Amino acid sequence: MPAAPPPPQWVLDISSPPAPKSKSGTLADPPGYTPAASAITSKQRSQAAKTVTQRKAPTTEEMDTLKMKKAWEIAIAPAKQLPMNAIGMYMTGNTLQIFSIFMVFTLFKTPVMAVMNLQRVFAPFEAPGISTRLISVKVVYVLMNMLGLGLGIWKVNQMGLLPTTRSDWLAWEGERTWSERAVPREWL
Amino acid sequence: MRLHAALVLAATLVAPAAAIFEDDAYHIDFHHALIGLPKRDATFFHKPYAASKASLIYTIHGNRTIGVVNPKDGALVWRQAPVSTQPGHGLLRAAEDQDTVVSAFGNHVAAWNAADGRIVWEARLIGATVEDLEILEQEDGITKNDAKDAIVLLSDQGVKRFDGKTGRVKWTYQDNSGDTPFQISTSPTTIFYIALHTPMLGGSQLRVTSLSPITGKKLDSYTLSSESEIQNHEHILFAGANTAAPLLAWTDKSNKVLKVNIIGTKGISTFTTPAKEAIKKIILHAPNRVNSLAHFLVEYHTDSGHSAEVYHVDLKKNTVSKAYSLPELKGKGAFAVSPVDANVYFTRITTEEISVLSSASHGVLARWPIKAPSSLAGAYPVQANSEVIVKSGSVSSIRSAVLYSNGQWVSIRNGDVAWERPEFLSGAVSATWATLAEEESIAHELEVESHQNVVSAYIHRVQRHIKDLEHFPAWIQNLPTRVLGNLLGKSEESAIDEIHHDTFGFHKLAVVATEDGRLAALDVGAQGKVVWNIDLNELAPGATFSDSSLKAFRGYVEVMGNGLQGPLFINSTTGELLISDAIQTQPAIISKDQHLISFDLIDGELKGFLGAQATAEPVWTFTPPNGESIVRYTARPINDPVASIGKVLGDRKVLYKYLNPNLVLVTTVLQSARIVSFYLLDSASGQLLHAVSHDDVDASRPIPSTISENWFSYSLTIDSTSSASSRGYQLVIAELFESPLPDDRGPLGASSNASSVQPSAAHGDATKPYVMSQTYHIPEEISHMAVTQTKQGITSRELLVTLPSSNSIVGIPRMVIDPRRPVGRDPTALEASEGLAKYSPIIMFDPKWSLNHKYEVSGIKGVIATESGLESTSLVLAYGQDIFGTRVAPSFTFDMLGKGFNKLQMLLTVVALFVAVLFVAPLVRRKQINSLWTQ
Repeated sequence: MPAAPPPPQWVLDISSPPAPKSKSGTLADPPGYTPAASAITSKQRSQAAKTVTQRKAPTTEEMDTLKMKKAWEIAIAPAKQLPMNAIGMYMTGNTLQIFSIFMVFTLFKTPVMAVMNLQRVFAPFEAPGISTRLISVKVVYVLMNMLGLGLGIWKVNQMGLLPTTRSDWLAWEGERTWSERAVPREWL
Repeated sequence: MRLHAALVLAATLVAPAAAIFEDDAYHIDFHHALIGLPKRDATFFHKPYAASKASLIYTIHGNRTIGVVNPKDGALVWRQAPVSTQPGHGLLRAAEDQDTVVSAFGNHVAAWNAADGRIVWEARLIGATVEDLEILEQEDGITKNDAKDAIVLLSDQGVKRFDGKTGRVKWTYQDNSGDTPFQISTSPTTIFYIALHTPMLGGSQLRVTSLSPITGKKLDSYTLSSESEIQNHEHILFAGANTAAPLLAWTDKSNKVLKVNIIGTKGISTFTTPAKEAIKKIILHAPNRVNSLAHFLVEYHTDSGHSAEVYHVDLKKNTVSKAYSLPELKGKGAFAVSPVDANVYFTRITTEEISVLSSASHGVLARWPIKAPSSLAGAYPVQANSEVIVKSGSVSSIRSAVLYSNGQWVSIRNGDVAWERPEFLSGAVSATWATLAEEESIAHELEVESHQNVVSAYIHRVQRHIKDLEHFPAWIQNLPTRVLGNLLGKSEESAIDEIHHDTFGFHKLAVVATEDGRLAALDVGAQGKVVWNIDLNELAPGATFSDSSLKAFRGYVEVMGNGLQGPLFINSTTGELLISDAIQTQPAIISKDQHLISFDLIDGELKGFLGAQATAEPVWTFTPPNGESIVRYTARPINDPVASIGKVLGDRKVLYKYLNPNLVLVTTVLQSARIVSFYLLDSASGQLLHAVSHDDVDASRPIPSTISENWFSYSLTIDSTSSASSRGYQLVIAELFESPLPDDRGPLGASSNASSVQPSAAHGDATKPYVMSQTYHIPEEISHMAVTQTKQGITSRELLVTLPSSNSIVGIPRMVIDPRRPVGRDPTALEASEGLAKYSPIIMFDPKWSLNHKYEVSGIKGVIATESGLESTSLVLAYGQDIFGTRVAPSFTFDMLGKGFNKLQMLLTVVALFVAVLFVAPLVRRKQINSLWTQ
């Protein structure tokens, strides 16, 4: 079997891509040179693939822990948005403008929608082993959304839209009726 | 600093700058600039300067107003009211080719520029009253061209000659005979001074003294024997006429004989008056020009008709002879004399026609029928002044200023009425808003419905609506014109002239009573048109109405006057007298479960009584302390709607208003110590709620005050030195709250019932208000105050103040004089959001607040305001010498489309959109179908 001809230049280029530029030198590496780090033979590569495929599948406990972790992340997520929302609300001011009205509307809509979609959000994490543990996560999720809602209420209050003061109920207060009526006699 | 500036700017933007818009002026308001009824012998046509082509009408009224009217359109050219400390009758004289007119009233003599009314000179004669005034036309038979001198007869200082240019006294003739000075008359060479010499018994003799015009020395004196006829002034018909032959005419008590003397001669010509019927009145008309013929006309009035005789004076023989007589006509009429060059023309004006005669012959030269408008129906001419234009020997046209018996001063040009001036309205003493019977009947029906149960009320309402259908055809008929009028941008006033088609409630009747006893109703929405006008003296002879008071009831007006047996009831729609039996019962002022307490000022004390009648035992008595005397009291109006019972602060807390319907503000004066005090009383219990006292007040100046809602206001003249040189005017406003703390309703708490007499569960002995007050300096004196009124009290209010020194009426926005304005610091952001600006002690009257813009509203006695049909608008009427009415919208007309709203454009836009839709609809439909197929 005659010796295989040397591979063409493009094969060499593909199999050994130019190394990232060294930090010190600005010069390009000479052709055909492959740095040591990238000199991994195909054999080695296949060996590595073999180790991955041979990794042991996670146990259910591990899976559950993972799911719980993920679920907690989702539950905490609304709280992470709070500072940003708060700054946004602070910036929009207390006047009734179309922009601030929209922002307040979304502020109310997001937590409500989130709570309504509670089951769907946590459906991927449902597992027979952790369903009880997931409840606390859900509660935290709802609480976090309530925090968002609280921000919305705070904002609406800042805008003066909540009937919390005496003046909001003034129209329902009546004038006193006086049991005497005095008039100058010339008016009679 | 910049922030401060920005806040101030914001505050000015927020503050309602309720100005009158340019296109509203002269449309929403009206002004009757009045003089008063013109005086017979002091009304004349006169050229304001020698080269003038047109003449003006000059007149003076008994209330000393000198007025000049343009005969073309009846507009007031100028008006002056000189101040006299003495009473007296007004005199006004003008000489030919002079640019001044000379007036005298009381002790005041003045010359005015005839064209613009500026004062040329004036003289005040201390301790004397001017009896007569003449202008020296000629001196030694020569007409002077520069300023002609005035000769003045004084009550007890003789005759004075005033220089026509400067008003300097040239000479004085002192009469020491003790005779009553009567008149002066001038001839080209002599001045005649006529006095009444009254012996101990019998009538008066006429004593004529001739004076030299140059030196004022007495030349001659003689008496005419007139004892048998003349008993008093009234029997002397005429004295004067600056003709070549001045006349003196008198009659006897029964008007049976006419005696004429040519002044300067001793001969008396005696004529008997027409004897068919008893003559009530004789008036003599003679030309007052030097060069006109010496002819005169004597006018006789009987009960049923009038006639006249024309007399000629023969200058050579010094005799008077009757030339011709004019036929007697039934009904009333008036005569006027108009000299044209040397000729003299007489104008006879009756209710039907106007005719011109020459003094030389009895033929009627021209005759025009009078087309009298409805405002003159039933009235007859009382006095007249005419100007005759003669072209090539024939009378081509005539214009007359005629005073009719109903007080209208009318210009008639060749039989057509050119203008009318409602001079009878001058001198109004009382005014009220009348409610029409029609709208009142609806109010009554609604009241009936509210008292029935639901089903019967519903049936009642349906029946009422069916009955209303009878107006439907007329409404339909009027609809096209109304719609067209609306579309073509015609103002709603001209489109809707009738008071019944008044959708906005701007057409309200204001009933005005004058000191002469005239009662008139004006339509405030129709430029002050006089709806009816009656003479109260005819209804109640012997009564005086100089301090009459008016009260409006449902469908009628009650008139109270001095010397009246009982009140007069006048139908407010027609002006007819109502018999007191025919009057419907009125709804009670108070509701059933309230106790009525009435109070009145009796013997310097304010006393309250249980019930409507004054009894011997008052419920309470208010005696001002320290010997102060009550000058006036102001009570909260009966109809004073309040929209909100609290004031919302910047932090959305509430300051509750102290809303007591029984508040009364009493003004007392201690003249000796120059102290003025104000006491706020609860007039149900007589309890003193608040008292404030001011030192160094000029109590002789007006101290107006007003009270409305939960605030009161008054104005003072501060006078620290008691000399008139240092004066200041202050406006004080005080606002009452239930508690100084926000969100607190005071001791009464949330209880919905209150009584100032009966004990309550409230803590503390009484519910006294918390008073916040603030004083502002104002640039002018306020003579009268009122507050705007709206239907529900939602609109912010304006304090309407009358400024007599600038003849104006100003509406001060309530916000500007808010007592809660922060003192000595800038307002906080919360206060600024309430619209409160930093307190500044001086309030300058913003020209934008002026309600009368270019009008000069003089002599205002009172201002009344009422609600209109719109919440935003309040109707205002000012009365006094002038009548001024307007509409005020303190928070702008938020419930009405502006004049700039183009209804036509709006309709066209709608039509264009509709057409566009018609065009686009098929396209869209095709596109939709296509999209269905291609899917």
